[in-house]
Amino acid sequence: MLQCIYLLSDSGEVMLEKQLTGHRVDRSICAWFWDQSLSQGDSFKSLPVIASPTHYLFQIVRDGITFLACSQVEMPPLMAIEFLCRVADVLSDYLGGVNEDLIKDNFIIVYELLDEMIDNGFPLTTEPSILREMIAPPNLVSKMLSVVTGNASNVSDTLPSGAGSCVPWRPTDPKYSSNEVYVDLVEEMDAIVNRDGELVKCEIYGEVQMNSQLTGFPDLTLSFANPSILEDMRFHPCVRFRPWESHQVLSFVPPDGEFKLMSYRVRKLKNTPMYVKPQITSDSGTCRISVLVGIRSDPGKAIESITLSFQLPHSVSSADLSSNHGTVTILSNKTCTWTIGRIPKDKTPCLSGTLALETGLERLHVFPTFKLGFKIMGIALSGLRIEKLDLQTVPPRLYKGFRAQTRAGEFDVRL
Amino acid sequence: MAPPAASQRYPSPSQPSGKSEVSDLKTQLRQLAGSRAPGVDDSKRDLYKKVISYMTIGIDVSSVFGEMVMCSATSDIVLKKMCYLYVGNYAKGNPDLSLLTINFLQRDCKDEDPMIRGLALRSLCSLRVPNLVEYLVGPLGSGLKDNNSYVRTIAVTGVLKLYHISPSTCIDADFPPTLKSLMLHDSDAQVVANCLSALQEIWSLEASHSEEACREKESLLSKPVIYYFLNRIKDFNEWAQCLILELAVKYVPSDSNDIFDIMNLLEDRLQHANGAVVLATVKVFLQLTLSMTDVHQQVYERIKSPLLTLVSSGSPEQSYAILSHLHLLVVRAPFIFAADYKHFYCQYNEPSYVKKLKLEMLTAVANESNTYEIVTELCEYAANVDIAIARESIRAVGKIALQQYDVNAIVDRLLQFLEMEKDYVTAETLVLVKDLLRKYPQWSHDCISVVGSISSKNIQEPKGKAALIWMLGEYAQDMSDAPYILENLIENWEEEHSAEVRLHLLTAAMKCFFKRAPETQKALGIALAAGVADFHQDVHDRALFYYRVLQYDVHVAERVVSPPKQAVSVFADTQSSEIKDRIFDEFNSLSVIYQKPSYMFTDKEHRGPFEFSDELGNISITPEASSDIVPAQQYEANDKDLLLGIDEKDDNKGLSSNNGSAYSAPSLENSSNITSQMQELAISGPATSATTPQSSFGFDDLLGLGLSTAPAPTPTPPLLKLNPRAALDPGAFQQKWRQLPLSLTQECSVNPQGIAALTVPQSLIRHMQSHSIHCIASGGQSPNFKFFFFAQKESEPSNYLAECIINTSSAKAQIKVKADEQSTSQAFTTVFETALSKFGMP
Repeated sequence: MLQCIYLLSDSGEVMLEKQLTGHRVDRSICAWFWDQSLSQGDSFKSLPVIASPTHYLFQIVRDGITFLACSQVEMPPLMAIEFLCRVADVLSDYLGGVNEDLIKDNFIIVYELLDEMIDNGFPLTTEPSILREMIAPPNLVSKMLSVVTGNASNVSDTLPSGAGSCVPWRPTDPKYSSNEVYVDLVEEMDAIVNRDGELVKCEIYGEVQMNSQLTGFPDLTLSFANPSILEDMRFHPCVRFRPWESHQVLSFVPPDGEFKLMSYRVRKLKNTPMYVKPQITSDSGTCRISVLVGIRSDPGKAIESITLSFQLPHSVSSADLSSNHGTVTILSNKTCTWTIGRIPKDKTPCLSGTLALETGLERLHVFPTFKLGFKIMGIALSGLRIEKLDLQTVPPRLYKGFRAQTRAGEFDVRL
Repeated sequence: MAPPAASQRYPSPSQPSGKSEVSDLKTQLRQLAGSRAPGVDDSKRDLYKKVISYMTIGIDVSSVFGEMVMCSATSDIVLKKMCYLYVGNYAKGNPDLSLLTINFLQRDCKDEDPMIRGLALRSLCSLRVPNLVEYLVGPLGSGLKDNNSYVRTIAVTGVLKLYHISPSTCIDADFPPTLKSLMLHDSDAQVVANCLSALQEIWSLEASHSEEACREKESLLSKPVIYYFLNRIKDFNEWAQCLILELAVKYVPSDSNDIFDIMNLLEDRLQHANGAVVLATVKVFLQLTLSMTDVHQQVYERIKSPLLTLVSSGSPEQSYAILSHLHLLVVRAPFIFAADYKHFYCQYNEPSYVKKLKLEMLTAVANESNTYEIVTELCEYAANVDIAIARESIRAVGKIALQQYDVNAIVDRLLQFLEMEKDYVTAETLVLVKDLLRKYPQWSHDCISVVGSISSKNIQEPKGKAALIWMLGEYAQDMSDAPYILENLIENWEEEHSAEVRLHLLTAAMKCFFKRAPETQKALGIALAAGVADFHQDVHDRALFYYRVLQYDVHVAERVVSPPKQAVSVFADTQSSEIKDRIFDEFNSLSVIYQKPSYMFTDKEHRGPFEFSDELGNISITPEASSDIVPAQQYEANDKDLLLGIDEKDDNKGLSSNNGSAYSAPSLENSSNITSQMQELAISGPATSATTPQSSFGFDDLLGLGLSTAPAPTPTPPLLKLNPRAALDPGAFQQKWRQLPLSLTQECSVNPQGIAALTVPQSLIRHMQSHSIHCIASGGQSPNFKFFFFAQKESEPSNYLAECIINTSSAKAQIKVKADEQSTSQAFTTVFETALSKFGMP
């Protein structure tokens, strides 16, 4: 059970403090924590579970904001971390992101949310759709309304009925004039290509994201054409387990609005859509570098937003890089980004140039890792296909939409 | 948007901190208090917002308490919420003023809007002012009966809060039985979950002094209750599911069908999107099947894939927590992840704490079939930009080499590292090569040829340098220029800052001298002279010792410093398997993250799930407060409890403490004198076969150089030390009690405070436990109590059993002691009596 939650800005300032139990946690713990993170450097700063002299601290960092929770008793660490992640998600959902200004401007809402999310140190409701019923998000419309009507209450008058119903993720009886449901397959490709150009690891992490705006109490079934390729599924609590076990069909009563229905992984893929061929030769204090990027196997749709980024080693004193396509930028922290966009038809994009090493160094000993980024709309590279989406009772004016996209996740090419 | 790099943390410079702003607010609030003008709520809201924002940034605004309460008459729910928040924050410090708030909170508890009823009740219970508890009972009672589940949910938690403020009020108002009936009959899952959480807490705290609570606590673990929860687990939200799963872990199933039923009920929880639920379920599965070996193995297969999914799909923080648990599992069952090693390959962008755990996993899963791939992967990290990770991965390669039989390929890789010519890579590799040679001396020829070519000038790090010097001394006969390299190093004695390196230099010079005396003689002389003049105590002592033992007899010196060595077959593991088992029992807790069982890092009072110490929570740990002595001391004490300071890797500690002992302060001799004597020694040195008298000194023990394996003799402790975590099962106890002869019978009196405290047997049991004496059985009723205790020696599994009969009317205790070691039973009896005599003392 957690005793206290703090939100710290990226300069260590306490932006928000929420005491959860009768045992107040002194604020000085934050100062201790911040001193530690400064003195210990990066690795300590990001360690998620720390023992301070008086408390156990759990922390996650999102966009520069540190969510810090304190406890004095033994508890499942993952529960604390999961909860903090959930708090961060809900806040960014409510405020449209998390940063210092947003939190300071809306701290009352943050307090209200925390009040409903956790009581006496034990998490209560973290389901966004339920919370949204209790506390209205600070959107533009409600701001306008408050100016016009002078009534700035951001709390709906109704009580969250879903908080107690047997389908805790769904508010009772939402009404829509047109019923719409969208299914998105969003996939990320994680790959490691080693020094010899071999594909060491290649897998896809995918999510089925849905946006459901359906009246009443809809019961949906979603089936895939080739469910056997899926591994490691994780489901939203609304998914019934037995139908999936017996015939690999997702049967569920959806939450209202946007949600993640399931996540999955497809392993041991043999092929990547693109290749990266880096070459580096170094001799007497300078390096020649050349990198080729191209399409290995055409996925059938356009590959967009191709980028290649890498960190120049510390021992490089200056770099002169140019490309025959796209733009190359080198930031002061030696991060080099090559924005390619689409692969042109007539030539293979090539980045080349020289790196000057620090004086005294003959050859390069530390090699950069290239990170490839790309996006392909309209296709799920894992090959997963949705067969159909059925509703038990079809409401009037139903619209069903399906989309798919794949992007590069952690795509590392080592040199 | 990047914020300004303000050095001042709180309050930030743009915010007001002075009193004037607060008093301004006070006046403004007062003006608004009675007003009913339109738009007044808006101005109130602005003011409230200001007050709360001051409170948030740490400015004390408790002085406007009265005004805030006066303004609280409003129908605006946001205003109310802000007011509740403020009141909750300051009530404890202003108990008198809090009375003012009771009125409006009680009124709000009867509001027709359930949300206001709930919020008001929550705030009322959060005031936590002891003398206001009487006002809580009424609203809580009606809250528990409210027809809205939201209010009931809050009321249930409120009961728990009340219990923490005043247990007696809570018990007297008969709240626990009400909660129990709610738990079993309420239609709302959240209410039920909160009841469970509150009752668990209340009963486990009550159980120490109430038989009934003890029974009730047990009843939560009865089969019907457990199944009541498990059957409807899907109705609960994810956090309540964790709670139920925690409860299920404690359930003792009646038979194997029972176990399979539970596993079937919970199987789909492994697919839950919330990692906490998955991990809690894993714990249930593992604990349930502990006694069924083959099913236990199947469980490992079953949980593998959900756990791996969690590693790769969550945020880095989640991965970190999961990986810690995987590491625990893989140590118990190395085979489970052997085929999935690719999951633990590091991605470039991962934070280093995740990478570090992944490297540990790769080391742990390495076996004959995958070593080649894993080592290949690890070698790629050695060229990583992140130096810390590069180091870790080299160490990982070394660890794998030490645990595998086929090290051929690995040695080649390690030697390639040396060719990378990066100082930290070289240093780490040298340390590893040294360890490898200690285990596999047969590789010495391959390694030495490469190591010999390394210039010692390129190595800056003490550990690496020490390793190189060790090898120079050990393999002096195989490296043609070893004496000259050593000589070079010795000539730069003054520039060598690390005492560890200087110690190794001394020893290496000695070893080299025994093998190639003519070439080393001069260097050794210089080294000993410099060593004796060294300001570092250990270096000084060791140099003097070498000098004297050489003077005494060169052959004895050789036997002491450079005896023939046996290959190390297994390097000592840092953690005993008993500790690992204990951590496994505490699966899904902080123990796993810290890799220590909870008793090693938590205070006793915090070990239970719900107990706090109030003082501890309030200790301010700002560095400025250190002038205040009391908190500073407590800070230190707590620091020790947490065991943060222990660095297991620091093997030098043992070395220096071994050396420092048993040496009287030496008389300093002229260093030039030593050199000249050395020359004499060398001339008559190894060639002459002097008749050596039997050495009566235990010199081997004094050299903690890793040459001799015998530890320094430790004096027997004056007092018997008992193992605080001794374990003995009742069957073994009975058997021992029958077998062992009675070694002592003693009668002693118990002090009156003790008698007074002994209303139930549990109180004595807990007291004795704090003295590391554990109860295995107890019984009897006033005035006669009978206990069976056992204890274990801290260092070895030697048991003491004791029967203790206490008669409270005569205030006498009769103790019968049986012991594995008869000789120490008197010592144990003393410990036992001392512990008993402290019973009841504050």
